[in-house]
Amino acid sequence: MSIPILICDDSLVSRKMVQKSLPDGWDVDISLAKNGVEGLAKIRQGLGEVVFLDLTMPEMDGFQLLEIIKKEQIKSLVIVISADIQPEARSRVLKLGAMDFIKKPVDAKTLAASLKNFGLL
Amino acid sequence: MTEDQRDCLQEIINVAMGQAGESLARLIEMFVKLGVPSIHLASTKDIMPKLKNMFGEQHDSVTAVRQMFNHNSGKLDIQGEAILVFSQSSLAEIEALMVNHQSQALNNRMEFLLNIANILTGVSIKGIADQLDSNFNCSPPSLIGMNISTEQLQSQDPINWHEALIIEVTYRLEHQNFTCSLLFLMAGDSIAKLLSALDDFLEQL
Repeated sequence: MSIPILICDDSLVSRKMVQKSLPDGWDVDISLAKNGVEGLAKIRQGLGEVVFLDLTMPEMDGFQLLEIIKKEQIKSLVIVISADIQPEARSRVLKLGAMDFIKKPVDAKTLAASLKNFGLL
Repeated sequence: MTEDQRDCLQEIINVAMGQAGESLARLIEMFVKLGVPSIHLASTKDIMPKLKNMFGEQHDSVTAVRQMFNHNSGKLDIQGEAILVFSQSSLAEIEALMVNHQSQALNNRMEFLLNIANILTGVSIKGIADQLDSNFNCSPPSLIGMNISTEQLQSQDPINWHEALIIEVTYRLEHQNFTCSLLFLMAGDSIAKLLSALDDFLEQL
């Protein structure tokens, strides 16, 4: 059965880069969201078993979305993909329950290694 | 500029801002929250009204630092000038940071300001060039003026303000806010080359 994955990023280019970096043959149904508000709605619809999440977004940013996911004990597995490469940013998102932090621009090899690491491939 | 080109440039700048933000965080020893950059392409006649709208028209509206950049190697053969502009209130925030900063090496106002400018401008330029498979030479940062009017930004210009890419970036700190604007001034052919490079980038997706 396909895994519902959600790519949550305000940039069309970035969403495309994440899509392009997904492993070939990985059986997934892809949903897209442009900010945390849209992302949360899609997660609540069951469309985000795995979430690739940007941090810097309008409306609701990635930190805020992670806080809600944690507070409401939502079961999504979140991999943050962000340009915010401060060690403190990584540490904060991991504390908020993200599984991993990948820096932008994302590449297929790093993404596959992360997914393998967490038993998703 | 098409919407796709704008989105592409915004994402490239977002990555470059992230690198600059990390360098800034190390300098000031604080966590820096990154804003979403906004981008405007302004023609000659639109530049000054836009800047006045952003920074006001008072005689002491802004403090600004410039760096020149030009093509060294790679695909993107452009040259221009980057000007980092701080509003009065943002400069006050930076000065408050300086008071708290412990480094002996950065013990005067000018040095601290040029360091911040070098990070925000220099690292951003390098970050943009890297993503477009290019390398630029950058001049050291030099002060245009402290507490000058917006009009004085234009009178300093060595490349005649052909067209400007005005990028507004916001860095927020835990207990303070400061906003700065990064202006990339380029001749028309450099802007055209940049847009063409963005199209190539988009085609590869």
